[in-house]
Amino acid sequence: MEQQGLRMTETKPGPSLFKRNPPIAGEAEAIESAKAGDAEAFSKLYALHKRRVYTLCLRMLGNVSEAEDMTQEAFLHLFRKIGSFRGESAFSTWLHRLTVNLVLMHLRKKGLNLVSLEETINPSDDEAPKRDFGSRDPQLAGSVDRVALERAVASLPPGYRMVFVLHDVEGFEHNEIATMLECSTGNSKSQLHKARLKLRELLRQPEQSIQQAGLKEAAQ
Amino acid sequence: MTSQNSKPRTSVSCADFQEQLPDLFASGSNGVPEDPTLVEHLKTCEQCSALVRDLQYIADQASLLLQPTHEPSDNVWKKIQEGLDSDRTRSAAQPGQNT
Repeated sequence: MEQQGLRMTETKPGPSLFKRNPPIAGEAEAIESAKAGDAEAFSKLYALHKRRVYTLCLRMLGNVSEAEDMTQEAFLHLFRKIGSFRGESAFSTWLHRLTVNLVLMHLRKKGLNLVSLEETINPSDDEAPKRDFGSRDPQLAGSVDRVALERAVASLPPGYRMVFVLHDVEGFEHNEIATMLECSTGNSKSQLHKARLKLRELLRQPEQSIQQAGLKEAAQ
Repeated sequence: MTSQNSKPRTSVSCADFQEQLPDLFASGSNGVPEDPTLVEHLKTCEQCSALVRDLQYIADQASLLLQPTHEPSDNVWKKIQEGLDSDRTRSAAQPGQNT
């Protein structure tokens, strides 16, 4: 059954998405075989994409069990609808868009309804990053590794984390994010800026503080 | 309208500069302004130039996260296979109908 509201159309991705999602060897053949119902081809496509889809779900949801459920949903949906993939965009772009839409639908079902999304992705004033009007801390350049960044992203408020992951990690454009999140483009830009400010604040703190922020976020 | 209102700005505060940052980053200029007043502020304000440098750095470092770091458990593929099997059973029972 078609899930209500899930967009399966192939829209032309921005150039950053092509750069970030280059074709994978053997993928095109596997897609064609999967369209014909070849079980081996499904297995190959799953092996090629499971880690990125799961990591995307995990970053958006922050919960292993939900991320596994959504990974399962995304691949089942993919295999059921693979016949409609026409190759107009990179396969991984199509798959990631499908995954993002499924996760957003899941979050809306949990209470983040479409009308209030723009408001609910704004964290409270307490969580908002401080503007920089005078602190003299050392600059970040060269000091942040992947693990520290991953930890800081995980401790962001959900609305900030969502926009940061979609834009800066996955490479979606603001207008695409605005459509997906059903908010304005300006809101997407603003949320991204606040997310980066918050990350800067977190990354300049001692590591212990980031872990505490993550625990606080997980408890909410 | 007074003639004072049409005078070009000669300086901006940190607050004004930082208010422009979301659009400056979104415009593809990576936080670097074209407006001469903002350029001048960026050149002379240590705090704002450090802020722009850090935000550029964070945006650049985000690509580190593109490489997947987590793997789903084997159970996920098992459940997907079960779902696909049940699709096949259903379509075999109802030939000509797609799932």
